Amino acid sequence: MRVSRRNFVKGAAVGAAGVAAAFPQLYIKDHGQAWGAKPWIYKDGNVKVGLLWSQTGNLSVVENDSTQVSLFAIDKLNAEGGIAGKQIEPVVVDAKSDIKVYSEKMTQLILRDRVATVHGSYTSASRRAVMPIIMKWNHLYYYPTCYEGRECMQNIINTGPLANQHSYDLVPYMVKNFGPKVYLVGSNYIWPKESNKNVKVWLERAGGEVVGEDYVPLGGSEFSPVFNKIRQQEPDWIMSTVVGDSDIALHRQFLQEGFKSDKMPIAALTTGEIETAAMGHEAGAGHFLSAPYFQDLKNPTNEWFVDAYLSSQYGGGGVTHYNMEETYLGILIWKKGVERALEEAGGDWEAITPRMIRDVSGNWNGQGPVGLSDEESPEGKVWIDPDNFNIWLKPKIGQCGSNGQFTIVKEAPEHVGPDPFAIYPERGVCKADGLHKPDGTIQKDVL
Amino acid sequence: MHKTNLYHDKRAQWAVYAIFFGVLALLPVWMGDDPFTLNQYARYGVFGILALSVSLVWGFGGILSLGQGIAFGMAAYGMAATMQMQYQDPVNDPIPSFMLTNELTALPTVWEPFWNTSVGLILSMGIPVLFFTIFGILIFQARLAGAFVAIMTLAMLGAWYNMAYDMQPFTAGFNGISPPSAFKAFGVEVDPYSSMIYWVSLGVLAALTVSTKLLLQSKFGTIIQAIRDDAERARFLGYNVAFYQVVVFALGGLIAALGGMVWVIIVQYVSPTALEIFFSITIVIWAAVGGRMSLFGAIFGAIFINAAQSYVGDEFQATWFIILGTIFIVVVRFLPKGLAGLFEYAISFVPNPLPAPRTSVNSDIAK
Amino acid sequence: MSVHDFWTPFALEPFISALIIGLSLASIWLVAALGLTIIYGTMGVINMAHGEFIMLGAYITWVLQYFLGFPWLLCLPISFVIVAFIGWLVERGLIRHLYDRPLDTLLATWGVSLVFIQSIRLIFGGEPQYIDTPEFLSNVVQIGFLNIPSMRIFIFGMALVLVGLTWALLYKSNFGIQVRSVMQNPQMAASFVINSSRVYGLTFAYGAGLAGISGSMFSGLKTIFPDMGLGYVVEAFLVVVTGGGELFGSLATAGIMGEMFSVFSYFTNDTFARFVLFVLIVIFLRFRPQGIFTPSMARR
Repeated sequence: MRVSRRNFVKGAAVGAAGVAAAFPQLYIKDHGQAWGAKPWIYKDGNVKVGLLWSQTGNLSVVENDSTQVSLFAIDKLNAEGGIAGKQIEPVVVDAKSDIKVYSEKMTQLILRDRVATVHGSYTSASRRAVMPIIMKWNHLYYYPTCYEGRECMQNIINTGPLANQHSYDLVPYMVKNFGPKVYLVGSNYIWPKESNKNVKVWLERAGGEVVGEDYVPLGGSEFSPVFNKIRQQEPDWIMSTVVGDSDIALHRQFLQEGFKSDKMPIAALTTGEIETAAMGHEAGAGHFLSAPYFQDLKNPTNEWFVDAYLSSQYGGGGVTHYNMEETYLGILIWKKGVERALEEAGGDWEAITPRMIRDVSGNWNGQGPVGLSDEESPEGKVWIDPDNFNIWLKPKIGQCGSNGQFTIVKEAPEHVGPDPFAIYPERGVCKADGLHKPDGTIQKDVL
Repeated sequence: MHKTNLYHDKRAQWAVYAIFFGVLALLPVWMGDDPFTLNQYARYGVFGILALSVSLVWGFGGILSLGQGIAFGMAAYGMAATMQMQYQDPVNDPIPSFMLTNELTALPTVWEPFWNTSVGLILSMGIPVLFFTIFGILIFQARLAGAFVAIMTLAMLGAWYNMAYDMQPFTAGFNGISPPSAFKAFGVEVDPYSSMIYWVSLGVLAALTVSTKLLLQSKFGTIIQAIRDDAERARFLGYNVAFYQVVVFALGGLIAALGGMVWVIIVQYVSPTALEIFFSITIVIWAAVGGRMSLFGAIFGAIFINAAQSYVGDEFQATWFIILGTIFIVVVRFLPKGLAGLFEYAISFVPNPLPAPRTSVNSDIAK
Repeated sequence: MSVHDFWTPFALEPFISALIIGLSLASIWLVAALGLTIIYGTMGVINMAHGEFIMLGAYITWVLQYFLGFPWLLCLPISFVIVAFIGWLVERGLIRHLYDRPLDTLLATWGVSLVFIQSIRLIFGGEPQYIDTPEFLSNVVQIGFLNIPSMRIFIFGMALVLVGLTWALLYKSNFGIQVRSVMQNPQMAASFVINSSRVYGLTFAYGAGLAGISGSMFSGLKTIFPDMGLGYVVEAFLVVVTGGGELFGSLATAGIMGEMFSVFSYFTNDTFARFVLFVLIVIFLRFRPQGIFTPSMARR
């Protein structure tokens, strides 16, 4: 069969038009609204909550623990009677460390499983991949990881430190104890760059200076070019925002290049107990970490948490690190939000919407925002900021000992508040209903 | 007049297409308005489009490109830019939020054209095709083939991947761009959870499949298959081999680019992961499992593997990748033509009930 | 982004250090690419599982040291042997059925790599691991203003040793004559009673073994985790293809690539250096597809 160009075009056009014309659904407005009017929590069902982490693939190293600690927290709450007598039912999915799967599983959790809330994500990329879906369905997401901030969205609650809180105490401490000259090393993506912008602000206040700044590819494991520049610049300490596998390589090669942690320590934001175990105690010893939580924190709540978690069926990983603790806080804070939402809905479970849970977690009925007391939170008292729905916390500085555990060398005297636009005052202020811009307009869903 | 295997009978092939797309077209009627299923099936449609591009370029053009992700990713970024600019307001809010926090005080020049949706669409389609044309000329003028093309496309993909996350002020780096609102064009909003998105995805897939099929049945199709089978001989016969290869390569880029555009409409997100080497090789795997020498087989392979991952992948948890790898090894080892080859073999035992076509020549070339 | 953020000004001493680092990078890439050079050069097989052979070598080293307390240096030859055996099995079970379909080996070995990665993750978990290196490899050698970690000097030396051994094996041994004759003309070789199937099997095993030994060495310098192979395989391929599948082609290419990468990343950054390098390789292959040394047009 010879097909002339004309026949070809005609055939294609007729085919496409035929397919399109035969089916009126194409022109009929979707019935999504009617569908969305179904209740999220049924009177005689459980409260379903989605857990969106990777059980397989490279991210599973961190995210598997997040799932486990969430299940632990849910078990604990259920054993205490659930939420107003209702049991919490976790829906666990596996995102397979694949951005495409995160997005697919999120639609599944919201639309198929009809969970009331989703907890999930370790990376900013996966968070941003699911946000359009959350916003579209006006749903609710709890993100328990430190991140860069500078977003102002109305469907998310974050329980990890923002860039403006994370290094707030660390920088003056390091400048005071080691000297003003600092070299910034990070993985090449947004969070390290944003963190370092904040670091520069604190440095200026503390009288320090940046002598060099370098970013290596995510997953990169070759640091000799960086150490070459570091040797040339002779900083007093190194500020590291290198994450994951690269972080391990950084600390190992630090040793191999002949540097000493007592002369030029690395101050990091993510080198926690998991990392120090993976790099060898020798490579971790003497370096610093700023985090709101350490496994070695000495307080009754944390001692209970570490014991109970590690001896439970979920504690096979053997550590509790900051990210797991922030995940745990997320579940506890969410439960309080649901309780308030139930009150707000006048006891009618079916009137609760995910967005309502978020809104009542702020300053509701003059009761202030939801928070956790010293008896509930392993890291100590925390609460949700009623404006931007990030968390108020006390960053702590730990120094890694030769056993891979951290000794707390300094704890912030007061809680540090989250401010997603701290270093961008010209952008405006993030409030509960959106970003209040300097010109008086309010912009929703800034991401 | 001999009777051919029903598998190679063009009338039977068209009938299969008609039934396949007909059934798919009826699906929304049957399953109603479940937004999850519509959204998910629309995603499968994009995977089908990608496998189609591999089938054309590799199965029929004989060019193993591990860089289909370049076209997919470029178009996805173009589409994301278009959708992002639809959300922005020219007066009050002209610059996307991620740029303002990356030291940009004005919209970069490369982003300016995306204010206009039509221009954005043309660029999203045109730039990958232009790039594939230039890249193709570079490769095929030098008469490179086989492994070289595979490695060069892989290297180029790696280069773009690095660029996408290093150029943070323009691409939002690793975090990616998530346009907050759905795509609107010509007064219609394409809601990614409606039958509309299903139609867009299926419509593009069907139109591309039919066009590709017609193209392969034309003289052009015969020539590129001749080049696939023996490039030297085609050259001796006076054909400009490089020209045909560049055209096939660029058309493959166009198909993958359309896939990328539909993808972003569905998920409202793009990040450098679209340019990951792993993803591009995965596309080739889908096509190989389904059968690269058959357009339908490749599309089926893509949908089959992805549906399996969605619906049974969680059951297998950590062993899923082992199963996937094993399936792949077995298919390559024992079924070089994929599942379609198995079907071809099976159906050869069924007598062809159709009367012999009037012209039976070439029937096994235009597969 | 201002120019200053992007561009590091020239200074002599660190620039010389950058050249030394380039040599170190080159030796790492060379070691990673050596096994692949043999496999691709002699058999035309594109082994995408090469990175996973490296990963297996690293994990074998880790298991030997962590569970059995073997000294690191002893792990090197052992992981050579074990990975060579695994490679031999892969060749017997899969690759040898695909010699007439070179592109399909690329895909099949990709499947093999998926299986390896996930199996290791199932057995040992996904957490990164590390190993202890001997004392004399954990310090720094100081020459003038240059500070060179002894581990890198060791890898550099080992790279030269392995190249030398491979060269001797290919060009000075009876086995090497068989390999090269099979490579040039399998039918003719067969008429001289050379068992080409056996030669292929052993060549592949040798190439895999080299990957294993490189994995052992990298375990001393870098992180061990199931996905680590992916970080080496693309660079290794570029070295091999640019080098034309020849031993000394790979040597020269690794040297040039290492230096260029180091110099680019000295002036700019790692990510950008990578982009430039990849693009330059594509352009180079356009004009010299036969590789850096080979005079004739060898197309596959």
